[in-house]
Amino acid sequence: MNWSVIFEPDTLALYTQGLVVTLQLTLLSLAVGAVLALLMALALVSRSAPIRLPVAAFTYFMRGTPLLIQVYLIYYGFAQLEWVQARWDTVWPWTHFKEPFFCALLSFSLNTAAYTAEMLAGAIRETHKGEVEAARAMGMGRWQLMRRIVLPSAIRRMLPAYGNEVVMMLHSSSLASTVPALLDLTGAASRVYSDFYLPFEAYLFAAAIYLCITFSLIGGCRLLERRYLGYLAPRKA
Amino acid sequence: MTSNTPYKLQALDIHKRYGQNEVLKGVSLNACAGDVISIIGSSGSGKSTFLRCINLLEQPQQGRILVAGEELQLRPGPGGALQATDQRQLQRLRSRLAMVFQHFNLWAHMTVLQNIIEVPVHVLGLPRDEAVARARKYLQLVGLEGREDTYPGHMSGGQQQRVAIARALAVEPEVMLFDEPTSALDPELVGEVLRVMQVLAQQGRTMLVVTHEMGFAREVSNHVIFLHQGLIEEQGHPREVLSNPRSERLARFLSGNLK
Repeated sequence: MNWSVIFEPDTLALYTQGLVVTLQLTLLSLAVGAVLALLMALALVSRSAPIRLPVAAFTYFMRGTPLLIQVYLIYYGFAQLEWVQARWDTVWPWTHFKEPFFCALLSFSLNTAAYTAEMLAGAIRETHKGEVEAARAMGMGRWQLMRRIVLPSAIRRMLPAYGNEVVMMLHSSSLASTVPALLDLTGAASRVYSDFYLPFEAYLFAAAIYLCITFSLIGGCRLLERRYLGYLAPRKA
Repeated sequence: MTSNTPYKLQALDIHKRYGQNEVLKGVSLNACAGDVISIIGSSGSGKSTFLRCINLLEQPQQGRILVAGEELQLRPGPGGALQATDQRQLQRLRSRLAMVFQHFNLWAHMTVLQNIIEVPVHVLGLPRDEAVARARKYLQLVGLEGREDTYPGHMSGGQQQRVAIARALAVEPEVMLFDEPTSALDPELVGEVLRVMQVLAQQGRTMLVVTHEMGFAREVSNHVIFLHQGLIEEQGHPREVLSNPRSERLARFLSGNLK
């Protein structure tokens, strides 16, 4: 083992650069994914089939295919279409498809949105019928009922499952290293490996960083659960 | 539409069918201010359905509903059941009727205080401080002052039902609808809820109570309706109706029920 190379300033700078990309990708795709998931979940519980079915088909595809395939489809497939390339110098939003970061972010966001939407839709469907009835009987309209009662309750109940999704998303972001010219944490480790031929040191160091972020994320989720799911916890004396 | 009427609530000729099964075959009720009306009957007699038709939690096939003289505008929906013509009117009238459910139906993720101020603030548009003051007043009335920050799941059934009553009171409704409010409670918890309801009756609130508690029907209400197979079999003052039932069905129902 030769750890001194890892702790050279240049190597550390490379890891830091990768770490920043990984964090940006993870957090941004979670944020974009969450907004999309909310809209898609509302569509999934809609009574109107023309609204529900396209979204259901989309989540079915996203959850039924590997994320790596989705990354490739967007980066190599979609972004190489002549129709898109004809526009990507001038017409927004197609200009973004030239950027590897955007392509990775788009595929990650759509992927996490699909999983989160199904989670949230499930939680919405499982909302206690009596609580919904009480709100209707008190004069709440459909939208107000959704916004004031159903969503706050459903989002709380899906928190534990969502915590897993957040960690999965961090780990999945290592697939960004398959997009050329995009150097995330895993990509940085691969660079170090190929530069110095130190596979164990290079990847173990990256793994240690992933581990630290994972535990921070899990800790954050626990805090949120304690704060927002207190009503489900056993009564304190 | 609003007229001078002594009635806080009128439900006229309510019919309700589930497929071929006719649950209500034309039930009417008029409630004046201060009336406490107990609706009794064996299970399946349609008494809960009747109560739920009044605020359109169930859609009747036929009938008229007036709250303080204002008639709820209804039109036949696709399945033949009536639906509100104007959702906003329905919501407004619902917010003037408050319902207390058999299973409390408190919002589990909200504290006691949040449960009580939710509708006053977000449906009636009351300023928050005013709603909080109201909530404290009614929490005191139901004997739960100081429990504002407790979650419903951390309370006994009797306490939850009293919170639900405070939540209903907080909208200062024209009429309170009670749907078997003590049926889901352990026997030793029934008394605390009935005592609160008795206080409300003494305050002159207009109440419709679907109940199996014959003691409450006799002592607290001023009118009893006995439903049988979707029709009013007998009604009148509780002392008369419950002491000297004219119909054999009511006599049999009472003998099976009285302790």
